[in-house]
Amino acid sequence: MPEMMLLLIPGLPLLALVLMVLDRLFGWSKRGDSERFTARLLQAAGGLSLLLVLWADVQYVLAGSRHVVVGSWLHSAMYSVNISFMLDALSLSMATLVGVITLLVTRFSVAYLHREAGFQRFFMVMALFTAAMQLIALSGSALLAFVGWELAGVSSYLLIAYNWQSRTAATNATRAFVTNRIGDAGFLLGIFMAFVLFGTTEWNVMLVTQTDTSSLFIGVVALGFLTAALVKSAQFPFSAWITRALEGPTPSSTVFYGSLMVHAGIFLLLRIHPLLEQAPALQWLLLVLGILTVLYGWLGGMVQTDIKTSLMFATLAQTGLMLVAISFGWYTLVLVHLLLHAVWRAYQFLHSPSFALHTQWQPAPAAPVWLGRQRWLHNAALQRFWLDPLADWLLAKPTLALSQEAQVFDGQILDKLSGAPGPHSSIETLADMQALQQGRLRVESSIGVGSGVFGKLMQWVAEHLEWFENRLLLQQDGGKAKTSLDTLGRYVDKVERLLTQPRYLVLLIMATLVVIFRG
Amino acid sequence: MEHPLILLLLIPALGACVLALLPSERPGLIRNAAIAVALLTFVYTLILTSQMNFASAAVQLETSVVWNKQLGTSFSLGVDGLSFPLILLTTVLVLMALLASHMITHHIKGYYLLMLLLEAATLGVFMAQDWGLFYVFWELVLIPLFFLIDRWGGKNRQTAALNFVLYTMGGSIFMLLALLVLFDATPQHSFTFAAMAQGAKGLSTAEQVLIFSGLLIGFGVKIPLFPLHGWLPLAHVEAPSPVSILLSGILLKMGSYGLLRAIDGLPAAALALQGLLFALGVIGLLYGGLLAWRQSDMKKMIAYSSVSHMGVVLIGISTLNVHGMTGAVYQMVAHGLVAGATFMLIGLLYERTHTRDINDYGSLIKVTPRFAFLIILAFVGGVGLPSTAGFVAELHVLIGGFERWSWSIVLLSLGMLITATYSIRTVKQLYTGPVRLDMQQVEDLRPLEMLAAGGLIAGTFLLGFYPEPLLHMVDMSVQQLISRFALETMAQVSGGSL
Repeated sequence: MPEMMLLLIPGLPLLALVLMVLDRLFGWSKRGDSERFTARLLQAAGGLSLLLVLWADVQYVLAGSRHVVVGSWLHSAMYSVNISFMLDALSLSMATLVGVITLLVTRFSVAYLHREAGFQRFFMVMALFTAAMQLIALSGSALLAFVGWELAGVSSYLLIAYNWQSRTAATNATRAFVTNRIGDAGFLLGIFMAFVLFGTTEWNVMLVTQTDTSSLFIGVVALGFLTAALVKSAQFPFSAWITRALEGPTPSSTVFYGSLMVHAGIFLLLRIHPLLEQAPALQWLLLVLGILTVLYGWLGGMVQTDIKTSLMFATLAQTGLMLVAISFGWYTLVLVHLLLHAVWRAYQFLHSPSFALHTQWQPAPAAPVWLGRQRWLHNAALQRFWLDPLADWLLAKPTLALSQEAQVFDGQILDKLSGAPGPHSSIETLADMQALQQGRLRVESSIGVGSGVFGKLMQWVAEHLEWFENRLLLQQDGGKAKTSLDTLGRYVDKVERLLTQPRYLVLLIMATLVVIFRG
Repeated sequence: MEHPLILLLLIPALGACVLALLPSERPGLIRNAAIAVALLTFVYTLILTSQMNFASAAVQLETSVVWNKQLGTSFSLGVDGLSFPLILLTTVLVLMALLASHMITHHIKGYYLLMLLLEAATLGVFMAQDWGLFYVFWELVLIPLFFLIDRWGGKNRQTAALNFVLYTMGGSIFMLLALLVLFDATPQHSFTFAAMAQGAKGLSTAEQVLIFSGLLIGFGVKIPLFPLHGWLPLAHVEAPSPVSILLSGILLKMGSYGLLRAIDGLPAAALALQGLLFALGVIGLLYGGLLAWRQSDMKKMIAYSSVSHMGVVLIGISTLNVHGMTGAVYQMVAHGLVAGATFMLIGLLYERTHTRDINDYGSLIKVTPRFAFLIILAFVGGVGLPSTAGFVAELHVLIGGFERWSWSIVLLSLGMLITATYSIRTVKQLYTGPVRLDMQQVEDLRPLEMLAAGGLIAGTFLLGFYPEPLLHMVDMSVQQLISRFALETMAQVSGGSL
């Protein structure tokens, strides 16, 4: 298959997004038709994209795994970044999963969100998300995967805040996004270290076991990606954000937190497993965090009374198990587990809105008796192990306090030093304004008046120069030169007048005669 | 035509004579005739451009007639890459100034006649290849200017005109003395540039410095250098706007052009006084900028801004290397266009509102959008923002200055910052703030005024976007000028003069 066609796998949903935006901007489709247009467009794009993935699957079966370089993206000194794709069992099964699930969820949403105010918005973000997930799955380098990683984060943010009018939705979206940035920092650390160590972030170079590189550095690379993965998959202790993320509409919860994005972290760990194997300490860390996540998901899930949250805790428990399996090195098992779990969880989430109907409105099962007896454990589970308040206390509050102090410093000291204009205006009343317009009132001239330290300094220097200029050079009305010439002229005039007097004339003649005769 | 440059000199001069014969009761005819003459001069200069070969540094289109054998003066004209851009600038600016002259309502005939004479004299200064002739044209410029300021100026016009002439004459005395001393040292008994440069080679550095100082004072009044600029604010403010355009657009360039010629003739002195030139340039730049910032009279502000901009020219010259010198010549042309446009626009605004105090203005953008567009562009050009001609010039000066003066060139950036301060302040004061009811009746630019001002601003942007032609024009001549210093430094190293 032509390698350019690979670009279309994430490219087609993106193209659909662009067309949707243009449609909104220029109003190509009529009011009533726009929903149908959007839905068909995205389904067609998703379907074609899926076909391409299947084609790539067939090629994989026939020719085995490949690393395809489509073109060079940027090149600076010894660093180069390619647009490349990794086609192996891991990436293709993930890509197929992404293609199938997003297509199905898109189809589901057409009916589910019919006549919703945010219908178009939802489909645009879905298109973006599809492209992002395909990039994560197929990309041949960490940098390209990061592009998808960030786009997925942004689309997650946009969909949690789907009901942006609601305050909780906006807060939760921000919270989820900010937590995700911790993972992004880890991802960037990984990319940076990979550039330093290998000069590239291509998976096929990075993931070959290096004997000559210090295992400590390899460990740092792996730790960066590991952090990113833990946050994205909401593993302990980063689990708190994902329950807040359920604020969005059900189909989005399905693809993001039920089946696809929550597994992106696990996928990344599977992708970098050669690095993990070189850092045994990280494998132990994975084991511990996996077990903790399983416990968190299991205990927390037992006390939930709300269907979506219960499903979310169950999902966490399952991904925790995958983490444990990765730490043992059972990668194929994890991949199979991932695929099956994603499909099953997607079904459950999509089903959740009508769940109560199907179960004839049965109340949620109560917490098991043994848990009820352990009061403190029950309480902790209900409080979701205080992860959120803990993060608030550790991170959010100090940051907020620091930024407030910085603002005070900025307003009280820096603004005054730099002379940033204050919010006030020189006009205080409406009457003043009118007087000003009619020319009855004159504001104090601000010409040559500086503000801030440098402005004042400039004003001081300029004032002195102006004094010098006026005093010594111009001397208003004619200047120094003219006055001195005038004085000189007056003297010459006087001499002239004296000379024209007869007595001085005679005196002059006599003096001349004396000089002549003496000579 | 055998003597193309004499024809160039004659077109405005003869035009002035024709104007004198026209009946003075038909102002429209006189005005149109004057504009036609200026246009003809401009077109003829454009035709001359095609005859020039800018790949050579030699003086071209030469005409030389011996004038006075005993004195050794000759009527010798010629142009090279340094003078030709300024000749083009002169013809453009005179044309634009005449287009924007409709506010002159009395003694129309005399006004246009003098303007054409002024053009002829200025062209003479730029074309002369003989110090004697140069001096004659230099003084000749004063006569029309004196009357132009004295008769058509503002309230203090007499003082301003007298002050201007006294200052320039005072400077000229030093220039004349220096030229005579130099003539004395010239064995060929000739006043031509080439012969005198040859004669100067025999002089010791101390003598050269003395002669150079005399010339510097003479040219320094026109540039103007820092303590000699007393005439400038008064003359610029009192002169009618079209004359202000020519004053700051061309007259100031005469000073810096003369300085270039002096450096060409006396390289050893220029090398010895390099630091002084730099210091004077920086002082002018900062001093002019700060004073411009303090002015609430807009014309005065632009006048001081001219002092500041000519400081950049002087800094460029003081580097005595190719980049700096190219920047200096480029800045002369750039400032000619920008200052011309600014003076024209502010002058036209003054004709409509009769106030130059910037505090009287406010929110004019709705009333006069065309004015606003052009004035903002003119100030942007004055700051030397990228894509304007000033940027190319300042960049060259900055590069050349850094080569020669390393970090002290940071003062140039400081000067630019000050320029930006008062330029943006002016735009803000003119076009934002509360609406003034008494400013609601201001008429917007008329088509002809739009053409004149827009033409200058278009030129600024053209030279900013596509600097190649002008750079090519000056390149060889600047190279030749610089080559004198290569010889000079070599001579100093080898321990003797050539």
